[in-house]
Parts: sequence; C-alpha cells; structure tokens
Amino acid sequence: MKTDNVSVAGLRRGGMVLTLIGLAGLLLLFWLSFFWVSTEIRQGIVQRIFYVHVPAAWTAFLAFGISALCSAVYLWLRDDRLDRAAACAAEGGLVFATIMLTTGPLWGKIAWGTYWTWEPRLTLTLLLWFIYLGYFMVRHSTEDPEKGKRFAAVVAIVGALDIPFIHLSVLWFRSLHPQPVVVKPEGPTLPGDMLTTLMTGLAVFTVIFFGLFLFRYALEGLRAEADLRARQSTA
Amino acid sequence: MSRYMAQVGAIMWKDLVLELRSRERLTSMGAFAVLAGVLFSFSIDTASVRTQDVAAGLVWMTLVFGGLLGVGRTFYLEAEDGAFQGVLTSPAPKDAVFLAKTGANFVLLFAVSLLVLAVFALFFGVSVGANLGWIILVLGLGSLGFVALGTLFAAIASGTSMGETLLPVLVFPLLVPMVVYGVGTTDRLIAGRPLAEVEGNIRMLGAFALAAVAAGAVLFRFVVED
Amino acid sequence: MVFLHFVRSLLFRPLTPLRIVGCGVALSALFVCASAALAGAGAQEMGNLPQVPATPSLRPYWHVFAAYAIAIALIGGWAFSIARRLRDVEDRLTQQGE
Repeated sequence: MKTDNVSVAGLRRGGMVLTLIGLAGLLLLFWLSFFWVSTEIRQGIVQRIFYVHVPAAWTAFLAFGISALCSAVYLWLRDDRLDRAAACAAEGGLVFATIMLTTGPLWGKIAWGTYWTWEPRLTLTLLLWFIYLGYFMVRHSTEDPEKGKRFAAVVAIVGALDIPFIHLSVLWFRSLHPQPVVVKPEGPTLPGDMLTTLMTGLAVFTVIFFGLFLFRYALEGLRAEADLRARQSTA
Repeated sequence: MSRYMAQVGAIMWKDLVLELRSRERLTSMGAFAVLAGVLFSFSIDTASVRTQDVAAGLVWMTLVFGGLLGVGRTFYLEAEDGAFQGVLTSPAPKDAVFLAKTGANFVLLFAVSLLVLAVFALFFGVSVGANLGWIILVLGLGSLGFVALGTLFAAIASGTSMGETLLPVLVFPLLVPMVVYGVGTTDRLIAGRPLAEVEGNIRMLGAFALAAVAAGAVLFRFVVED
Repeated sequence: MVFLHFVRSLLFRPLTPLRIVGCGVALSALFVCASAALAGAGAQEMGNLPQVPATPSLRPYWHVFAAYAIAIALIGGWAFSIARRLRDVEDRLTQQGE
C-alpha cells in the first residue's frame, strides 16, 4: 500500500512535468503555425490545420498501439497494471482520434470541397474510433470487472489484427472511386519550415499525451486502492 | 490430432442436431433473408437504378444483418439452461469448442447465404449463372470470416449485461474489409467480368477468414475463462 | 461514452474561482490566437503577395480557428475530466482513511 502511494505521487509529479512541458510546447506550436511557418501555395491558410491534424492522428495511433500491446501482454501476464495502462491509453487515443476526425473534415471542406471523403487514413481512424468505443462499452457492461478487462483486451487485440485488412481494403475501395479534387496531404518534399512546425507538433502532442496518460494512470491506481479498501471494510 | 477432430466434430454435431430439431435460428435467418429481399425490391426505383448494379451490395448486407441475427444467439440457448458450463468443463480444449461453434454457425450461415443468393436471383432477376461456382466460393469465404468474428464476439456479448445489442457495435467496424472485398468481388462476378480481375480479392477474403478463425481460436479461451 | 462523460463533466461542475480563471485564460488564449492568426496571415499575404493567391473569403480562417479550438477543447476537456475524477477518488480515499 505504501509503495503504491509513493509511486502514485511520482506518477503525478512526472505527469505534471510532462503536461507543463507539453502545454508550453503547444503555445510554441501555435506561435509557429500562426506566425512563423510560410503559407502553402496551393491550399493557402487552411493547410495550417495540418499542424494539429497530423500530430493528433499520430498520437491516436500511438495510443491505440500502446493499448493493444498492453492488452495482449495483460492476457499473458494478468498484471492489473497492464490493463490499467491499456484502458488509459485507449481513452487518450479516443480523445486524439476525435481531434483528428473533427479537424480532418474542416480541412477537407476547403481542400477537397467536401467534409467527408473515404480517405484511407480518415476511414481507418473512424473505424478505430468505433472499435475503441466498443472497447469501453464492453468494459463497463460486465458485472465482474475481471471479465470486463479480459473482454476489452480481446476487443483491442482483434481490432489491432484487423487494421492491416481494413487499411488494404479501404485503399482498394478508394482506387475505385476517384476523388473530386486530389490534393495530397503532404507534397513530395515538405519545405523546411513546414517540416519543423510539423515535427514540433508531433513532439508536443506526444508529450501532452504521455503527461495526461501518467495522470490518468495514477488515477486508476488510486481508484483500485479505494476499491480495495472499500472491499476490505465491508468484509 | 484425430482425437481433437473428434471433439470438434462431436460438439459441432450436437449444435447442428439441436438446430435441426428446434430450427429456431435457421427459421429466423431464412425468413429475414427472404423478407429483406422483398423489402429491398420495393426500396429500389428500377426506373433509375439497374438492379444488377446494386444486387451485390444488397446480398452482402442481407447476409451481414441476417447472420448477426443467428450468430448472436449462438450461446443463448446453452447459457439459458446452464449447459454451456458442461461443454466448457468437458475435456475438449477451448479452441476445439470455438472451432466447433464456428463450424456449426458456418454451416447455417452458408445455407442462408445460398438462400439469399437464390432470393436475389429470383426477385431481382440477376443472372448469376455464368460465375455461379465462384460466387458461391466468395460467399462461403465471406461467411466463414463473418462467422469466426461473430462467434467470438457473441461469446463476449453474451457475457455482458447489454447482451446482443452490443454485437453490432463490436462487429461492424471489423467487418469492413470483408464487405469491401466481398461486394467488390461479387459485383464483378455478377457483371460477368474475367476472373483475373477478382483473383486478388478472393485471396484477401480467404486471408481474412483464415486470420479471423485463427484469432478466434486463440482468444476464445480468454473469453470463456472461469 | 467517454466523450459524453466529458461533456457532462464540463457542463455540470460547480464554478469555483480557479475554474472561472481557468476558463477565462483558455478563452482569452483562444481569442489571442485567433486574432494573431488573422494578423499573421494578413501580414504574410502582404509580405509575399506573388506567392499566396488571394483568399476569396474568410472561410478558411474560420476552419483553421475551429480546428485549433477543437484541439484545445478536447485536450483541455480530457485534462479537466481527469482532474475531476482524481479529486473524487482522493475524497473517497480520505473518507475511507477517517
């Protein structure tokens, strides 16, 4: 119990440091993308959405990857901490995927002339969003929490295994349906300052994710402790 | 190995006999397939859309929705009178149980998919004769992948308080590859395109089915644990 | 589910001075960013006129603001929701400790 408390305090300190760095980085990113970076010729101002859209997508995929990995190892080792990490990462992935899915259409409306297209990466993210919606629905709808953890882990693993199939099939599907205006998200060569801004965005979003992830993980640890105490006091 | 096959065969046979006697799922899936075909034919304005162009998509949608109706109830009957505990405590390994359940479901769904094909050929006047063998193969591979995922998630859904209502949320996002390849292939086969055009798709459908069965067989033991 | 939870937790929390200040800071940051973007984009357009085609309307700007606002709102919403749940659990733990 005591070591748990120490580790929770450490997690929160680490989370605080990372989150503060991340927030400072976010301000820097906004400054870079609003004032510093040059405007893309073909798409104009709207291309700047790119600097939150792509990092959000990357972070969401990272988070879902962590979640699937932790789920797989959880089924193997049955360490509760792995399940907590998987759930926390999945929650973060859902948040960042939502950012990706809402900023994407805002950009697409200008660049492609339509809010939604079945662009492969957008489609994959939408489906992942629903898979992880199912992850949380399964988790919260079992009477026995242990059962919910196992079910959710299975959902995460099957979802991860399905990703290559979804990606290939959506690519193939799209090759049938030419898009109204085809503007590649990234040109063959990204000019230096745009690349710098994008890389800053990737770093900042990743740091923010890990900062909040640590808080979220500490929260799960405290919750488990509170549940344990409640069970002990009733017993 | 032969013992394993015997175990799979025994459980599968039990399920099929149970289904043949009660005809509960087969009737509901079959009726759904025919009635969906009727409704779809009224929902399409034949003056503006050629039925051949949309038939493949409708066949697969009928198969998915109708299949979910039956596959979702895989564990219902046994769970209700506690017989599933008996199956699980039998010496058969858990993946044998999964393969047997999947096999029994596959037989049912494959029969339904043939019915769906017949219904659409009849109601929509779609000519399937030219590539009939290949269309049946594609429907079979699609049913196998669907049934493998459906059985695994039916076991999960039956363990939750939400039950079958959870199943579409869990399964539909995962089924996208199957629907994309299945519809794309069936569409071309109905249109009488050369086989070389769809070969890759059929292989992808096969890979999807194989991966779904393998993943289900490995993961099923974690679902039905304790 | 989680998203609904965010929205609910954002809407139905009692206002404390800290939160009011926090909302104020967030809103003003948003406002500053928005006006800065307008100014920056305008300055840039004047700076390299031959490069940037004239924008027919303000619409793309609004799309950029909306995108950045969504990013801030969702990340902030997640942070707030974590903070609220952390406090709830801590309350529970102190109650159990007594």
